[in-house]
Parts: sequence; C-alpha cells; structure tokens
Amino acid sequence: MKKILLTVILVFLAAVVVSAQNREYSARPVTSSYTVGVGSSHIADTYLSQIKYNGWSTSLRYDRWQAMKVDPLSWVMNLSLGVDVERAVNDVGNSAIWYAGINASWSPMRSWCVAKGLKLGVGPAVNLDLGCLYLNRNSNNPASAKAAFTVGATGFVAYNVSIGRLPVTFLWQPSLPVAGAFFSPEYGELYYEIYLGNHSGLAHFAWWGNYFSLNNTVTADLHFGATALKIGYRGGILSTKANHIVSNHFTHQFIFGISGEWLSINPRKAPSPRAKLYHALYEY
Amino acid sequence: MFSKINIGVNLILWAGLFCFTSCHSIDEPENTTTGNFDMLWTILDEHYCFFEYKDIDWDEIKIKYRTQAQNATSSKQLFRIMAAMLDELKDGHVNLSAPFESSYYRAWWSDFPQNYNERLVQEKYMFFHYSQLGPVSYYLLPSNVGYLRIPTFDVGLGDGNIDYILAAFQIASALIIDIRDNGGGSMTVADDWISHFIGYEICTGYISHKTGPGHNDFSEPYEMRVKPVTVGHWIWGKPVVVLTNRSTFSAANYFATVMKSLPNVTLVGAKTGGGAGMPFSAELPCGWGVRFSAVPIYAPDSTLTEFGVDPSPGCAVDMSPADELAGKDTMLDFAISLLTTPK
Repeated sequence: MKKILLTVILVFLAAVVVSAQNREYSARPVTSSYTVGVGSSHIADTYLSQIKYNGWSTSLRYDRWQAMKVDPLSWVMNLSLGVDVERAVNDVGNSAIWYAGINASWSPMRSWCVAKGLKLGVGPAVNLDLGCLYLNRNSNNPASAKAAFTVGATGFVAYNVSIGRLPVTFLWQPSLPVAGAFFSPEYGELYYEIYLGNHSGLAHFAWWGNYFSLNNTVTADLHFGATALKIGYRGGILSTKANHIVSNHFTHQFIFGISGEWLSINPRKAPSPRAKLYHALYEY
Repeated sequence: MFSKINIGVNLILWAGLFCFTSCHSIDEPENTTTGNFDMLWTILDEHYCFFEYKDIDWDEIKIKYRTQAQNATSSKQLFRIMAAMLDELKDGHVNLSAPFESSYYRAWWSDFPQNYNERLVQEKYMFFHYSQLGPVSYYLLPSNVGYLRIPTFDVGLGDGNIDYILAAFQIASALIIDIRDNGGGSMTVADDWISHFIGYEICTGYISHKTGPGHNDFSEPYEMRVKPVTVGHWIWGKPVVVLTNRSTFSAANYFATVMKSLPNVTLVGAKTGGGAGMPFSAELPCGWGVRFSAVPIYAPDSTLTEFGVDPSPGCAVDMSPADELAGKDTMLDFAISLLTTPK
C-alpha cells in the first residue's frame, strides 16, 4: 500500500515539474475576435402573445480563444461575451416585440490536431443568458424576463488552409446546453406579484425536454495581415416550455468583424528563446 | 482517438437534431373569420379568471356565437359578434380593440345612477378656490372638514406632495376622500395613498393567478401588505369618509376595499363598480387586441369584490335629483353630517 502511495506521489510530482517546465517554455497567444451580427429574428412567447413575430436581429460579440496553461498542447479555452438587440413585428404589422439580452459562456476544450491544419475540440461549457422581451401593446403583461444558467457541451473544428496566397481559417463551433436552471413566470402570473414577493415556481431545472438551445457559428478568418477579416454565419435556437408557457426564439445572422492574435510579454522578463508558441486555432 | 472524436461529434449532432425536431410548438390559427373567433374564445377559455365565480358556461357561449361569426360578412360585423360574446362576461376589464373601434361592457355602470356631479362640488362646495396638485384637488370645507378629490390612480403623487395636502388639513376635524368616478389605475399608486392612513403594516388583500389553462387552475392566494409611509411623513389618524359611486372601479375599488377595513374609515355613497381582476392582454391573428381579467384580487377578508364593495352599514346614499338641481350633493352632505354630528 505504501509503495502504491509513494508511486502516486512521485508521478504527481513529476507531472508538476514537467508541467512547470512546459509553462516556462510556452507562449500562448490569445486569439480574439470582435464581430457584429445582422440578420433575422423569429420570436413567439405565449406569455405575451400567441402570435409569431418576425423581424431583425443584431449582435455584438467578443470571442477569446487561448491554449490552456495546464496543458497548452491539448487544451483550449474559449470565452464568449455577447449583446443582442432584436425587433420583430406580427404579420399584420401593428405590434412589435423588442428583445435585449446579454450572454456569456466559458468552455475548456480538449483538442486534437488530427491532420495538418485541422484541429478539433470538444468540452463542457458554462453559459449565462439574461434578457427581456417587451411587447408594446400589452398592458399588465408587457414584458417577459429571460434568465438561464446552463452547462452543456461545445466543440469546434478549425481548418487552416491557403486559398491561393491567402491563408484562411475556417471555424465551426456548435454549442448545446444540456442542463441547468432557468426562469419562467407562472402561467398567468403578473410580474407585480413577483415584485410583491411571491417567488414560488419561478426557477426550473433545465433539460432538453423543457429547455432546448442550440447555437452554431461558422466563420472564415481571412488573414490579410496581422489582423484577419472574419465573416460567417451564426444561428441560434431557443425553445422553452415551463408553466404551460411556450417560448420560441430563433435567429439567423450574417456576422463580420476582425480577429487576430496577440501575445502578452512581460517587459521585465524577456521570453525564453526556447519558448514554443501554442496557438489556439490558427496554424501558419 | 479518431473513433472517440467521431462518437463525441455524432452524439452532439444527433442530440441536437433530435431536440430540434422536438422544439415546443405553438399553435397559431389562420387569419380567417373562424380562426380569429376560435382564438378569441380560446384565449378567454384558458386565461379568464372569473368563469366559476360568475357561473358562466363558456362552451355554451361558443355555440351561441360561433355560427353567427361564421356568417359574418365584414370585419365590423365580426367585431360586433365577438364584442357581444365578450359582453357575456359582464366585466368592465374586458375589451376588444380593432383599428376602427374598441368594445366596452358598459352596463356595470350605465344601469346605475351616476351619483356624481363634478361641477357642482367645485362650484357649490369649493367655490372654485380649491388647490390642485396633479390630478388631485383639495379644499378645507367651511364645516372644518377636509375634502380631497382623487379622480384617478393612473398618476401618483410623491409622499412629500401628499404631506403638503394633509398638512393643509391639519386643523380639520376629519377628512373626506372622494373617489367617485375614479376608474382606477395602478394599485401601487393606491398603496401610496393607503400608506398615509395607517400606523402599522396591514394586509390589503390577496393576489392569485392561473397556473394552467383549466378554469379552476389557480395558485394559492398570496398576501399583499402595505407598510405605513416612512418616518417623517404625515400619517392621517382622524376620522375619514371615502365617497364612492358605481363608477369607482378597478384600483379605486381596491382602494375602497382596503380603506373600508381600517377602523377610522367609513365608506359612504353607492356600491362600487368592482373590477377585482387585474387584466392581461393578448392578440388575434388579424391584429386585434383583447384585454381581460386574468388575476383575481381578494379583499383582506378573502372575499372577491368583482361585483363591487358595499358602503358601510347605514351609509348607502344616492344623489337626490332634487338636491342636485338645488345645488346640493346629497352624498357629500351626508358625509359632512356624519363627520360633524356629535355622537
């Protein structure tokens, strides 16, 4: 028993030493992108109306990718922050729903370089979504708040290729929340009652039966120089059912923006000449 | 390694595909005569909160009006049929709104005497010398009784504003609050006023809501409470009369209900118009809006006041037409007499 314990401790210490050496000789540039999304919005929320609304959507998003310190060769993390504003009208055109929301997600992903220029990754994701729908024609039920904290699965496929002389990075990232918690008012409950202090029945355990969300982002980074032009598509599906209230929210957006890599260097400590660059997505 | 990756990616894709095909659907009727009629009927069927309380057979009403709706030859004709169906609910909080008209059930007040003449009070009792603050007017009557007219709870006043009004009555022996023809507004505005007439936290009633589409799917009533206005503000502790008529409705009905439960307050006048269901809004495929009672508000004694609040015992008074012609407000005179006659 003692031998086994000793062996485990020695292996652990060896791993720590190797990891520390790797960190000393590794540089992990951050791949950042800032994108604007413009597209369509399709909203239906039976707390507000039984009618489906269609209109436009727009978004601003910041994405950050970086090889993880713990094992820069095999692990990548992604942080994503976004703001969405949407407006949709009913078929008759006499009423509008506005949506404003923010979202954040963080995910560490195990990655594999499966071929030259091709990298795959998969891992868990933690998501926070906050927003509000507002229907201007309603009196005591004009708004429907949205809040969800979920964990799920995400992944990516990054393919670096040159088209002519232009290096291009194609990226597909799906994201699928699996479980968590989300907010929904009761079937006929006024927010006034919630304001009075009745908070029962508002929080729900989220699973695919009552909370289904799927986001897909497909982009191409065109590397014209140190900065790349990012263009692509982002689609979002959110469908919830709680307290007999059904809410569907679909978006399709064309996205464009800039992306690039940057490396933080300590001016008082020059980088080791033996340092190796671990890119999260790009491969030149 | 490749097999593990394949399994993972496939799992995500198939799970996503499975769930996408099982997105929660929403039935949206077609924008046709029957589609709109059926949707209106269903919205009320699933959300209206007083079917059982009013003993309404909504299925029977559908049979009665659906055939008429099918034969409607114009939008206005369909609107009239739908409005007639909604009138069966006998509810002042129910409206159907089209670009050319809004329906409104009027019988809850039109079948009763109005019992209020604003010009008469302004001219004969306040001699047009009253003070005005927002929608509120007030005046110290010659009988040393304060008169406070609150015509609506749509617009509130700050506690400091209410302080000024009550301070103006500090030498008065009592106060009359006239909420005749007050059609309601916001309950929080009514609560702000109530907080100036209580010395301790009180229960102002109970609120419930529907938990599903069934006619009897209701949550447990949740207690509503109001605290006295914060220290430093004026609290009125002298006798109060609240004047009501049939057009005292909705949030004003709530105000009357709560004030009546206070020990130093007497309700004088006619039975209020009720309106104890807070309204929700919805819409039809044709774009018409519908508003209806969805959230029942119960009195502090757990009763429903949908059909109105009675005056305090012995204080039911109507405006005498003869008095009105002679420049007298029978109800206001009764209130003044009640407050100034030694007991």
